[in-house]
Amino acid sequence: MELIISIIEHINYIAAAALFVIGLYTVLTHSNLLKKVIGINIMETSIFLFFVSIGYVSGGSSPIITLGEKQIFINPVPSALILTGIVVAVSITAYSLSLIIRLHETYGTIDMDEIMALRGEKS
Amino acid sequence: MSSVHFPVYILLILLTTAVTIPLISNRFKNSLKEYIMAAFVVSWVLSFTTLNHVMKNGSYTYSFGNWSQKIGIQFLVDEFSSFMTLIILTVAFLVIIYSLKDMEHEIKDYQFSSYYTLIFLLLFSMIGLTVTNDMFNMYVFMEILSITSCGIISIKHKKDNFLASMRYLILSAIGSLSVLLGIALLYMVTGQLNMFEVSSVISQTWQSYPTNILVSLGFMVSGLAIKAAVFPLHIWLPDAHSSAPTPSSALLSGLVVKVYIFTVAKILFRIIGVEIVAALGIPTYLTYFAALGMIMGSVFAIGQKDIKRMLAYSSVAQIGYIFMGLGLATVQGFSAALFHIVSHALLKTALFLSAGSIIYQKDKRDLRDLNGIGYEMPITMMVFTIAAFGMIGIPGINGFMSKIYLSLAVIDVKKYVYLVIILVSSFLNAMYYLPIIIAAFLKESKDRKNIMVMDKLPRSMIYPMVIVALGCILMGFFPQLIMNVIDKAVPSFLLLGK
Repeated sequence: MELIISIIEHINYIAAAALFVIGLYTVLTHSNLLKKVIGINIMETSIFLFFVSIGYVSGGSSPIITLGEKQIFINPVPSALILTGIVVAVSITAYSLSLIIRLHETYGTIDMDEIMALRGEKS
Repeated sequence: MSSVHFPVYILLILLTTAVTIPLISNRFKNSLKEYIMAAFVVSWVLSFTTLNHVMKNGSYTYSFGNWSQKIGIQFLVDEFSSFMTLIILTVAFLVIIYSLKDMEHEIKDYQFSSYYTLIFLLLFSMIGLTVTNDMFNMYVFMEILSITSCGIISIKHKKDNFLASMRYLILSAIGSLSVLLGIALLYMVTGQLNMFEVSSVISQTWQSYPTNILVSLGFMVSGLAIKAAVFPLHIWLPDAHSSAPTPSSALLSGLVVKVYIFTVAKILFRIIGVEIVAALGIPTYLTYFAALGMIMGSVFAIGQKDIKRMLAYSSVAQIGYIFMGLGLATVQGFSAALFHIVSHALLKTALFLSAGSIIYQKDKRDLRDLNGIGYEMPITMMVFTIAAFGMIGIPGINGFMSKIYLSLAVIDVKKYVYLVIILVSSFLNAMYYLPIIIAAFLKESKDRKNIMVMDKLPRSMIYPMVIVALGCILMGFFPQLIMNVIDKAVPSFLLLGK
């Protein structure tokens, strides 16, 4: 029973770890380049979830200070950091998608295995 | 004018130059070149003044907007970071002078200004990564660096370049995400992002959370090892460095990889601290991988036929030397690693620039076509010979001095096996560099007789090469020029955690 309760309490950490592994698996095993980019995005999302969960304080509210009241606040720093992280993630996705367009123009396919086969025949 | 703000001015100048370069039309190429050079000279002078100031008055921290270091972003300007900023700017300056002519040959005309935008953003992020003292800031600079270094590979519109930069981008994205996860785990333990604050918290409480610190260090070090191309994780490097335009390969191999090594050193020795890292046993594992890389990188290089690909594999071996120095986790080992970072930056730049000149003039990349080329391009091949001798470790060139320092550091900790590995690796280096030199100067070319003529290269390409080669010799005869600074930088770097 205690195990189940602790799992429920830490469900966001477990989800983050699971998502990280799913993303890594997608990047490493799929030969389709678009799927690799989606895998990277899943990994990024998992870390964002992890970061935001660190800052959460149970029962806390958003940190807007009103005079005369003592409240519990969540930690705002991780959320602010993740805003930057999302921007970085978007730029990496944009750049890799543009590279995939170029690869499709030159090789006519976006599958890594097929590209390697094409290169192997020529050289 | 107080020179406290100079590191920030350097970053601002590089950033504004990067943003304003596209405003100048590609038709005014000469004014574009003058603008680039002016920005470089100003930032070089600023960085030199900063180093002078730091050597006289000691290190200082620079908090943005005077926020306390618990909240705001902070730069640490000490002997280490200001010296490395100067090295980065000097090497990049020479490579950029070379590139002004070479890039006209390698990329299309309309891409010319966008290439320099990327170069300036690359320098901006490298210097930022060297001076920053904040972990999240470090991550952001790292991402800028990885995107721009992919950009300067894929700017040449060839099939190989797109594939190489795609592979580099995917692997370095995995690497930087691992680093971010490591930062998150450290933040979970300490609740701080500033390196001083983190290290002061960790030095008090690390015994309560050894697993957390071990896991987070594992993520961060292996993520950075992908980016720094430590041996089993080097697979992206040969493609990326050999297909890129020559100035890009010189920058990538000479500087970008080194900046990631600085970051590893910062994480291991500044954030966590030498004693805790040694107690967790991480440096020992680093030396295993380093020793493997020193041998295997050279073994792979022997089999290569493309000259730039061979140089790229040789980089893998040299990174092994640097990580060997880091992994010893002593003052001597760390200073040998820093010395080798500087000397390898010069040597590899000289090698890549001379290889690029051969490609520029003769359009030959195959090692078997280089017979008798020493009579056709004497200056280029002399530069190549000096740098290759440095790589092998012939006395009088800086590569020899860094091998001496590394061997002394290895003897100091009584790990004599690594001494044998350093020797074997030097012999392997000789095995693939000497045949090129012999072919260039002693064999007859098929097409022409061996009559001495001068290189048909623009002067702006010859001078940077020669200056780099002279720098190698100067550093070989007077290593104390560099060593004096390193001797000051290392203790302050290693003892900061206390």
